[in-house]
Amino acid sequence: MNAGILKAEGLCKSYKDKEVLHDLDLTIEPGKIYGLIGRNGAGKTTLLGILTAQNTKDSGSVTYDGQPVWENQKALDDICFSRELQPTLFSGPNNLKVKHYLRSAAIYYPNWDLDYALRLLDEFQLSTKKKISQLSKGQMSMVTILIALASRAPITILDEPAAGLDVVMRERFYQLLLEDFAQTDRTFIVSTHIIEEAASVFERVIILDQGRIVENAPTEELIGQFRYISGREDVVDQACTGLQVLSAHQMGRHKTVAVRGDVVKLEAAQEADVDISPMNLQNVFVSLCGHGDAQ
Amino acid sequence: MRGTLNDRSPIYLQIAQMLEDDILRESFREEEQVPSTNELAREYNINPATAAKGIDLLVSEGILYKRRGIGMFVAKGAGSMVRQKRKAAFYDGYVKPLVKEGASLALTGEELVAMIQQAMGEEKDK
Repeated sequence: MNAGILKAEGLCKSYKDKEVLHDLDLTIEPGKIYGLIGRNGAGKTTLLGILTAQNTKDSGSVTYDGQPVWENQKALDDICFSRELQPTLFSGPNNLKVKHYLRSAAIYYPNWDLDYALRLLDEFQLSTKKKISQLSKGQMSMVTILIALASRAPITILDEPAAGLDVVMRERFYQLLLEDFAQTDRTFIVSTHIIEEAASVFERVIILDQGRIVENAPTEELIGQFRYISGREDVVDQACTGLQVLSAHQMGRHKTVAVRGDVVKLEAAQEADVDISPMNLQNVFVSLCGHGDAQ
Repeated sequence: MRGTLNDRSPIYLQIAQMLEDDILRESFREEEQVPSTNELAREYNINPATAAKGIDLLVSEGILYKRRGIGMFVAKGAGSMVRQKRKAAFYDGYVKPLVKEGASLALTGEELVAMIQQAMGEEKDK
């Protein structure tokens, strides 16, 4: 499956006087699974909506294969953005039935794979006769996952697909995603707050913070730049020379710092009498986007 | 759970080991107070009972002692006690795995000893 490059340049978006996206650039290359992580209100859903021409932008451009995506049927045929379902719709209950929702997806997505959709329906034990408003949060997530996978769109975007799913279902979801990815080489963008269990699935991770992209890097490479260093205060301070210190905690003379730096400098720190431990993606995220709140 | 803790061994053991390291590095000296159960719980986002279990372990070994109504303190001679304890665990924890890995790589005893001597030399040069 040959997807083009999805590219955003200089995106700005405000809701009333609240600026949500600030002059944002992003390139999505084909054949990769991207993870999009950011705190509540960071602008994730707004960004995904604009990338797929479902939301308007104030300025900047979004192109697919070099052509603007806005009202571009050819581009939008290749892109699926499976939004989070809401129990209410236009101030009333969401009375659409699952089957109606699936039928509209079948019309909208030219690559719709009905067999695959039916298999997933069976596996998720979803009743097509149920109204969206009657589904549990987890079942709503299953519907959005089903649509995303069965759309077979070369670029498929899932917003919080793991929300409300139990841990067994979440593992199954990532398994399905990887199975499909191995077969089709589609491009996926997945946003999630349950970071750690998704980290090994993401080839690249995009970190959005306060409307800006602070990282867009290969996951392992990014994580490799971060460490915790702990030990006696003065020795730790010495060992941190040349490293970027992101946060520090102290109990008496025992000090723990979160640092970032290149591999050579991190290795040099190892010479001191300190404990150095690796971070996981969740630690990295908290270090970069915590702004002292949770720390 | 956060920060330097990992999920490779029980958390209370990691807390105990960390306090031991702090004692060896003189982050906490003899007769000095160590962080309370609640401070440890808050710092590492763990259950206070887990932190208490780590401290209790060191109390039972005489490395820490309790001053009623004040808190936990580092005992006299705690540093040498920790060193003694670590030495006892050194054979099982480091030497045996070293020999085992060496054997699986078909290293001879002479090669192994030569490597250890080389590493000791490098450590001395620092």
